[in-house]
Amino acid sequence: MEYPRQITTLQTAAVLISTIIGVGVLSLPLFAVRSADAGAPLVTLIGIAIALASLLLLAKLQLRFKRQFFINYSEQIIGKWPARAFGVLVIGFFALLTSFTAREFGEVVITSVLKQTPLEVTVMVMLMLAAISTRNDISTFAYVHHFYLPVLVGPVLLIIALSLKNADVINLLPVWGNKPGGMLTGAITVAGLFQGSFILTTVMPAMRHPDKAVKSIFWAIMIAGGIYLLIVIAVVAVFGNEEVKNLLWPTLELAKTTSLPANILERLDAAFLAVWVTAVFTTLFATYYLTAHALSRLLGLKDHRLFSSALLPFVFVMAMLPQNIMQMYQIIQVVLRYGLLLTIGYPLLLLIVAVIRKKKGNDHEKPMEPSS
Amino acid sequence: MTLLVPLVTGCWDRLEIEERAVVLGIGIDVPEAGTFEENQVTHRSDIPLKKSKRVHLTAQIAVPGRIPLGPGEGGGGGGGGGMQTVWVVEADGHTIEDAMNNMQQRVSSPLFFGHLRVIVISEEYARRGVQNLNDYFHRNPEVRRMNWLLVSKNSARELMKVSPKLERVPSLYLMTSLDQAVKMGKLPNLFLGYFWSSVAAKGREGTLPYVELQESGTLEIRGLALFRGDQMVGATLPIEILSYLGIEGVNQGGGLVFSQVPDVEDEEVIFSNSSRHSKIKVKIKNGIPHATIRVYMEGNLMEKSSDRFRLNSKMILSIEKQLQENAKKGYVRLLQKTQKYGSDIFGFGEYVRAFEPRYWNREIRTSENWQKMYRKMTFDIFVDINIRRIGMKGR
Amino acid sequence: MSLRHWLSRMHQPGKPAAARPVPNRAIQQSENETVTGDMELMIDKVKSFLGDSDDFVIRRFLIFGRYDAVLFYYSSLVDQRELNTEIIRSLMYLPRHLEGKEIDEARLEELLLNEALFVGEATSINQMNLVLERVTQGKTAILAQGMDTAVVVGTRQIDKRSIDQPATEQVIRGPREGFIEHLDTNISLLRYRLQSADFCVKTLTVGRITKTRVSYCYIKGIANDALVHEVEDRLNAIDIDGVLDTGYVEQFIEDNHWSPFPQVQNTERPDKAVANMLEGRIVILADGSPLALIVPTVLNQFYQAAEDYSERFLLVSFIRLARLVALVFSLVTPSLYVSVISFNPELIPTDFAVAVAGGRAGVPFPSVVEVLIMEISMEVLREATVRLPQQVGGALSIVGVLVIGQAAVAAGFVSPITVVVIALTTIGSFATPAYNAALALRLLRFPLILLAGMFGLYGVTVGLILIANHLLSLKSFGIPYLSPLVPGNFQAMKDTVFRAPLWWMTKRPSLLHTQNDTRVSNDAVEKIKQPPSNTLDPLMVGNQREELSDGISPPNNDAPDGSRSH
Repeated sequence: MEYPRQITTLQTAAVLISTIIGVGVLSLPLFAVRSADAGAPLVTLIGIAIALASLLLLAKLQLRFKRQFFINYSEQIIGKWPARAFGVLVIGFFALLTSFTAREFGEVVITSVLKQTPLEVTVMVMLMLAAISTRNDISTFAYVHHFYLPVLVGPVLLIIALSLKNADVINLLPVWGNKPGGMLTGAITVAGLFQGSFILTTVMPAMRHPDKAVKSIFWAIMIAGGIYLLIVIAVVAVFGNEEVKNLLWPTLELAKTTSLPANILERLDAAFLAVWVTAVFTTLFATYYLTAHALSRLLGLKDHRLFSSALLPFVFVMAMLPQNIMQMYQIIQVVLRYGLLLTIGYPLLLLIVAVIRKKKGNDHEKPMEPSS
Repeated sequence: MTLLVPLVTGCWDRLEIEERAVVLGIGIDVPEAGTFEENQVTHRSDIPLKKSKRVHLTAQIAVPGRIPLGPGEGGGGGGGGGMQTVWVVEADGHTIEDAMNNMQQRVSSPLFFGHLRVIVISEEYARRGVQNLNDYFHRNPEVRRMNWLLVSKNSARELMKVSPKLERVPSLYLMTSLDQAVKMGKLPNLFLGYFWSSVAAKGREGTLPYVELQESGTLEIRGLALFRGDQMVGATLPIEILSYLGIEGVNQGGGLVFSQVPDVEDEEVIFSNSSRHSKIKVKIKNGIPHATIRVYMEGNLMEKSSDRFRLNSKMILSIEKQLQENAKKGYVRLLQKTQKYGSDIFGFGEYVRAFEPRYWNREIRTSENWQKMYRKMTFDIFVDINIRRIGMKGR
Repeated sequence: MSLRHWLSRMHQPGKPAAARPVPNRAIQQSENETVTGDMELMIDKVKSFLGDSDDFVIRRFLIFGRYDAVLFYYSSLVDQRELNTEIIRSLMYLPRHLEGKEIDEARLEELLLNEALFVGEATSINQMNLVLERVTQGKTAILAQGMDTAVVVGTRQIDKRSIDQPATEQVIRGPREGFIEHLDTNISLLRYRLQSADFCVKTLTVGRITKTRVSYCYIKGIANDALVHEVEDRLNAIDIDGVLDTGYVEQFIEDNHWSPFPQVQNTERPDKAVANMLEGRIVILADGSPLALIVPTVLNQFYQAAEDYSERFLLVSFIRLARLVALVFSLVTPSLYVSVISFNPELIPTDFAVAVAGGRAGVPFPSVVEVLIMEISMEVLREATVRLPQQVGGALSIVGVLVIGQAAVAAGFVSPITVVVIALTTIGSFATPAYNAALALRLLRFPLILLAGMFGLYGVTVGLILIANHLLSLKSFGIPYLSPLVPGNFQAMKDTVFRAPLWWMTKRPSLLHTQNDTRVSNDAVEKIKQPPSNTLDPLMVGNQREELSDGISPPNNDAPDGSRSH
């Protein structure tokens, strides 16, 4: 299947934004507040900065090897077998991320909306949706994200705006929080939520003007990060940081507290849930696509459609592994933190080695065959 | 293929709206001695459970079909129409969840809390501690945070049974009266979520509307219930609600107060508040927090007790001064009362935490410490009242 | 196949659509035969091929009174009067200038064609199979003793209905002409609207036995060449017994056969066809079908009607918005109703919720089943009203809906709110101007209702995501189906829900990659932006228009030009 070259900067930004805004939206304020009390917004800001830095790093690396894929050019830089080993790690990480995203999603749905439906069904439906959609090529992938972007951003902003009438500025002070020690761990956890943006490595080779990717990254982080920041601010302002620690999914509670003027629709959280399903879908779609695509490139195949179905049982089984919700969150936190090592550290390593060894990609039109 | 599996096994969560028992209001009481039913539904009676947590639950469930939409036949049919639209059920339990479970046994359809609007607790129960209630309702996803939680002087059970003539559904009567009071500026918007935030916050205590049921079956707001931690420790007078509103600077103006007319004996005017706001600054003086409160209010004169005196701008200014003095006295009394109970319902502690974080981190850090420190706090109060209009009558 | 794919291949400018040898029993047998001068032999041969039908006429006569000749034609297909007056008469009478001269038999063919026959359409054909083909198309073949070709003249006349208002697309403002079944009339309707030399019509024959003439029309210089070639190739690839309607053609040339959404638009209105051609699309007509196909098509076109361009832009934009809302209603309303009632009653206000519960108290079925039953009965009712004759149909539909609905409610079979929801849905689906798109949405309602019944709002969202993803991956001749929303294109977005004023849409939609993309010249835009001149302003009839200056005074500063307005 041909690899198109037509993704615009706007679409890249859309892909990044909708991938980042996903399942983390619900529990992010909880993590931020646990580590820094009222300083949660600041922690979020730091996390966003870390994420921005890591994405720019990735873009710089990719720009050296214009049209090639991460899995492929890493072989050029550090040799075939180490690169393949790391590649497997990266793929495994993203498969894990996919399964835990799906699992967390399922947990939220069956706790708050569909109480009797078995977890397996909810998770399976979502994963199948992602698997079916992965059968398309990358330009459709970009269209999908582009299309869903306003569906995500609009309602979220609306809910935040409506909730502010219950906000109390004093809950946001002091800006540093009363517990300055925990800031760094908090920032790392927040940055961990941005890791879906690794999808950049799949999108950039297909862009019309890869040099403009930096612009997309800035826009994307500004918007996605801005939304995360606004959510944290709204949640802390409305509830106060102590109460937030009592809530497992503060953003959902925020939606519960808002109401449209004149009380047309009261409990907006069910509607918010529908929007959030779309957000999770785009995230899942991206990480699933990344996994399938990277796997296909690792094994030298051009078509990733085989893997979109083959991966499904593995991801599903992994999603079902945690025994209960608290264990799930523990595992997620650990995985996210160590994953950061992988998604930031490994590209950094590659970039340094590439600069030292003066490796650059050829400016071919076609993506390189893997074993060169 | 796998997509068809759910079709075969059935839809799990589908529960038609008429199959649900829509709970509109809940009342929680401490069971009277000797009347507690031991149901042995969730446990055997030989397992010892804390007596101190027993509850008696009353629930108002909507009867489908009796509450018509639109100009209904049911509304006009009989003065006691309100009673037949709901069904009141009672149950006992060792904790709230236990009591709910016992109640479910008696009700055929599954209980649905999505439309729960009013939770009434009796004063006795509030003084015992509401931690169990907070925990239960936090975990239940169906419950809205915008509910009303009321403390009632009588038993909650009676409140649940009230059947007013104006509303079709009794809980809605309770809810509407409170909502209207908020809109009219006479009650702060103390919904359940806000109560939880206040209880959780280290520098503030919770407060709830304190109501009483009159014999005629109407509800009256008797003040605010003061909490320390999760237990009620006292109550304010109704007029002190206005003082609370003033200090908090709640902008929905409202509330009427009498004021003497200076230089004229034995005459009063009534002042109606139309807008207010306040500024609070907190400093540390000699290791003790000190707050400066400035309250600004505007309003109109509603009534003059006789025609022996005329209103002119000088008179109005002096009435303003009198009002300011009265208001200041009211604030001081309210602050002293809350200090006596160690219940900082205004949230000065939060101000300290926000603006003097170092002091807070060093000295206080927990809510118990703040409850102690609050008693020692000092205040400076400045009030500024402006009377703008006097209604349609010229003098 | 994508447009880009075509662009990158250096395609030679078109070979004309070859006259395909269309297999056919009689024709096949006569493939290698030629016309000879032996007339009796020819007559026997032709009789053996075509003589079985009773409306096949063999008329012997004498050309110029001297030479034996015979006419072959189908009496049901020819214009009898023209045959008599122009052909037989002109052949029987010797032309003036030839009187007295000797005529050679060998020259007969040339004489007939060039001097004797008063007919516009005349050719000479040697191959027997082609002659037979032409006769079946309604032409007349003239054979003469000693002439070794047949002269074939055009005499076709078929009764056709008059041009009438299009049955399926009625408008309030706009032309009321619609296509009819006759291909030539349709082309004439297009031609008089596009009186330009660039308007190009190409015809080919499709259908092994029906031999239907199919034409594709486009504007040379606007339509993209690669698109034209693509259409030609796809049409040539059709191989089927009979093409009775453009719908058959549509099913062969569309990109995705499984999708419920149509990728080809059809219309009965020539003005709509012409408007689309001006944007760069291609129109396909078939003989015998009053519907023209328009390719390529995107989703946007399905809620736009032709009269949207005849009215002013502000009003039309609101009407389009209403249509879009109706469309969305018709898709999601029943599933939203089911999910709210069965899964999330907390979304509706309390009073209403309890009242609805009351309304549903006696109903035996869960709301999913109720909605499905009502929807299915609605569909059945719709099909029934289409088949009924005019007079009975109208009354029955109204009576049917009202009475059945009311009776069902009274019987406690369904709840009143369900009836309202279903009614809204059905009315919404009528608001879509394009019938095929409305069909797609009608169909898609059912899976959504099932999903809603299983998972509530979550199910509806999943269903909508599936539909949206499908739409996003659909392409029509290479153009993404959801253009111009995705990929975003500002110029083309001037004509989606909101229709920009005509003078603002200066460029053709770029998604069609037209060769010439200017529609409205910049001068026109400039002129419109100037304030209008108040010609008949009551106080000052005869104003003179002031020049719009850029701050510099005109050369004759103070010229007291009497009638300067102020």
